Amino acid sequence: MTATSTETGPSAASAAPDDVVLRISGLTKRFGATLALDGADLALRHGTVHALVGGNGCGKSTSIKVLAGVHRGDAGRIEVAGRSWHVDDYDPRAGRAAGLRFVHQDLGLFPELSVAENFAFDAGYPTGPAGKVRWGALHRRVAELLAAYEIDADPRTPVAALRPAQRTLVAICRALQDQEGDQELILVLDEPTATLPQHESDVLLAAVRRRADRGQTVMIVSHRMPEVLSVCDDFTVFRDGRTVASIVGTRPTERELVGHMTGAALSRAIDAGTVAGALDEIAPPVADERPQAAPPVAGTHDAAVVLSVQDLRGGPLCGVDLELRRGEVVGVAGLVGSGRSSLLRTVFGEHRPAAGRVVVRDAAGALHEAGDTCARMDAGVALVPEDRGGEAAFAELTVRDNISVTVRRKYWRPWGMSAKQEQADVAALVARHGVRTSSPEAPFTSLSGGNQQKAVLARWLQREPTLLLLDEPTQGVDVMSRADIYATVREAAAGGTAVLVASSDLLELCTLCDRVLVLQDGRVTAHVTGAQLTPDHLTALTQSTAEDPAHTGAA
Amino acid sequence: MSVTHTPPLNSTADGDPMPDQQRTAPAPVPARRGRLRGLAERHALLALLIAVIAFFSLYPPSRDVFFTSQNASVLLGNQSTVALLALAVILPLVSGYFDFSLGAIAAASSVFTAGLMSFDDLPLGLAMTAGIGIGVVVGSINGLLVTKLGLNSFVTTLGMATLLGGIIQWYTGGQTILAGLDPRLAQFGSTTLFGLPQVVYVVAVAALALWYLLAQTPFGRGLYAIGANPRSAALVGIRVQRSSWITFVIAGAIAGVVGVMALARAGSATADSGTSLLFPALAAAFLGATSVRPGFFNVVGTIIGVLFVSVSVSGLTLSGASAWASPVFNGAALLVAVGLSHYLGRSRGVRTT
Repeated sequence: MTATSTETGPSAASAAPDDVVLRISGLTKRFGATLALDGADLALRHGTVHALVGGNGCGKSTSIKVLAGVHRGDAGRIEVAGRSWHVDDYDPRAGRAAGLRFVHQDLGLFPELSVAENFAFDAGYPTGPAGKVRWGALHRRVAELLAAYEIDADPRTPVAALRPAQRTLVAICRALQDQEGDQELILVLDEPTATLPQHESDVLLAAVRRRADRGQTVMIVSHRMPEVLSVCDDFTVFRDGRTVASIVGTRPTERELVGHMTGAALSRAIDAGTVAGALDEIAPPVADERPQAAPPVAGTHDAAVVLSVQDLRGGPLCGVDLELRRGEVVGVAGLVGSGRSSLLRTVFGEHRPAAGRVVVRDAAGALHEAGDTCARMDAGVALVPEDRGGEAAFAELTVRDNISVTVRRKYWRPWGMSAKQEQADVAALVARHGVRTSSPEAPFTSLSGGNQQKAVLARWLQREPTLLLLDEPTQGVDVMSRADIYATVREAAAGGTAVLVASSDLLELCTLCDRVLVLQDGRVTAHVTGAQLTPDHLTALTQSTAEDPAHTGAA
Repeated sequence: MSVTHTPPLNSTADGDPMPDQQRTAPAPVPARRGRLRGLAERHALLALLIAVIAFFSLYPPSRDVFFTSQNASVLLGNQSTVALLALAVILPLVSGYFDFSLGAIAAASSVFTAGLMSFDDLPLGLAMTAGIGIGVVVGSINGLLVTKLGLNSFVTTLGMATLLGGIIQWYTGGQTILAGLDPRLAQFGSTTLFGLPQVVYVVAVAALALWYLLAQTPFGRGLYAIGANPRSAALVGIRVQRSSWITFVIAGAIAGVVGVMALARAGSATADSGTSLLFPALAAAFLGATSVRPGFFNVVGTIIGVLFVSVSVSGLTLSGASAWASPVFNGAALLVAVGLSHYLGRSRGVRTT
């Protein structure tokens, strides 16, 4: 294969070139100053299930987007079913004609419409004279397809009524519906199980495996190591936009795979010359973290404990315990679906927990248990949500309105709102938090993403919260603003605010946090502090299986 | 409504390095020019109103009668019901909901106030209370359906309007209620104070109170926040459902008052569905949203909107235009107002789903 790949496994040599139905070579893609893909390679063999794995920001999604035509690559070649293009000439329609089919995480189904109609929107309705839809023919054809894919559903059922795994299967079946005769289609699944509960993803993967056993070629992009290990034949690992390992025809251990992703494996492997031997030694250093990680056992009588969560359940959360003390910045790491956002939202009172306790201590020292969003705010809790445009911004209102919205009662006088005091306060906040705006009266949308986020932070920090919940605080934020936001958060913590940060950016968690909790399948599976707090170590912990005792901290 | 400068937020954990450099802030608008343009935009409707008044005061066919205190008195008196209803209309609109039933509520209030006096010999005070009470009850039902059950406000209130129209037909048997009304009501409707009909002062007081509520209280600020983004509003501790429900109740109550006022002005209650009141009121509300605080429904703008439409129609009528001139002008003004606010890019896109 190519120079950058590390081949392992006894059957590496058996990957005859003519077997390869999809080949990416030297794919490079740059976004501004960021190199998302740096000469990545990938070879997908016919009739196999191929896993494309890697940590956050490794470029795997970008490579899929280049294949799907969302982004245009800067350099490299793409080869599908014997046809080869330079990325400049690559046309997603050509890829489709050559047999590439995508099922993205957002399945692109119309939930209210029937299964049959979802198929028809892709392939067209069979019509009779005068353009009348031949419903009988459509339903028969879809019923045959569903039977062929072992989907136990009626074509007339609305998609919303199907189980999550069935919905994904319907999307897969729809993507492959024109696979007839001798044309071989290549199915690309982008994070198919990210939002599925465990048993649903088992059902889905078993079905995918059965298709593959009958000759279907599949590529799966996934975060979930145990899953890809259970169904995939070949593995390609990306790191920093490069292919760091391609493992053909053999199943590595989870530790090996995670080792490739974090880079520990590669360096050791090259040094040691033999991959297999080296991999056993590079177990993530977790043995000694237990003592520091054990959270203080102190109960709610400890005045420094601002937030105490006990056995919290509901939604994806299956028994979360945690404690936050004054002035502490604590991160929450975990994959999509691990319950990061749910944890924050439940603490903020937006979701009602199914079971468990969330106790918040306000500035005066009083304890507050259950409560809705307003009660939580009164108790000194603040939430900066992940979806800034959808859940934090008031787009058409002014920057002033957006900032003072959380304290608007403060400005009320019997004769009206005190505009003067409000303007003075907002001007001070804008200056203090470095919000770059032409005027506080400018519409909120005129700000850049980073400045919007600073304004949202200012909105909450003026309330001097005792507990600040941040969900992806720097998503879509430029580098300069990111540094400002970190400084602001640290300053708030220095002032005594306890901060809980959920982020998919592990580097961010390591930069910002005193300690990080790893959330897996709705449970805290590890606490990481001090020297252990590195992105690679966190990657290893978030990717590992909960059953693996070596990775389990205080649960 | 899209937040143009916020990139689509990707919910996957795999945040591929996205180009931060591509998300730089837009070039700051030259502040001075922006301020001038904003000033012009804010006062365009007022300027237009003054221009229309000047035109008809000088235009030969209308100049003798147009700019007289009698005409002003007649015009303001006749428009008081539309003006008050327009104030009711903007309340749910501020928080992002349509209420199409307000015209029908006013009509029902008018008919029942008259009917209770005429058929059941109820005293004036009780009949008026019942009329306004109908507005409160219907408004709170609308509010519950729309906020608690999450029904589409457009369709729900349209259904309510149709239903009320039917009840009015049933109650009156299609007849106008003339006899047996307390004469004090008609007297109030026709008396002037300081040269203006008394009803004008009712509108003025209501406008002042609503202006205070919307512009000068935390509650009103919260309503605009809900109108801008209900999800964000809920996450900054605004009680979205309750606040929106209150706007429907207050709007219903005001519409009830409109009904009583219409009865006082006309001295009789017709079996009417109220659309003749509602559409000019909607036109005024949308016109008003293009001025004073462009892009937002507001009290002062709405009053200017009512005046603009009524002054124009009065001038046209006095210049000899036919009866069709009024609805044509109302409709055209509404289209221009909506088009203008959309063109200005400030259309808030009232939720209809």
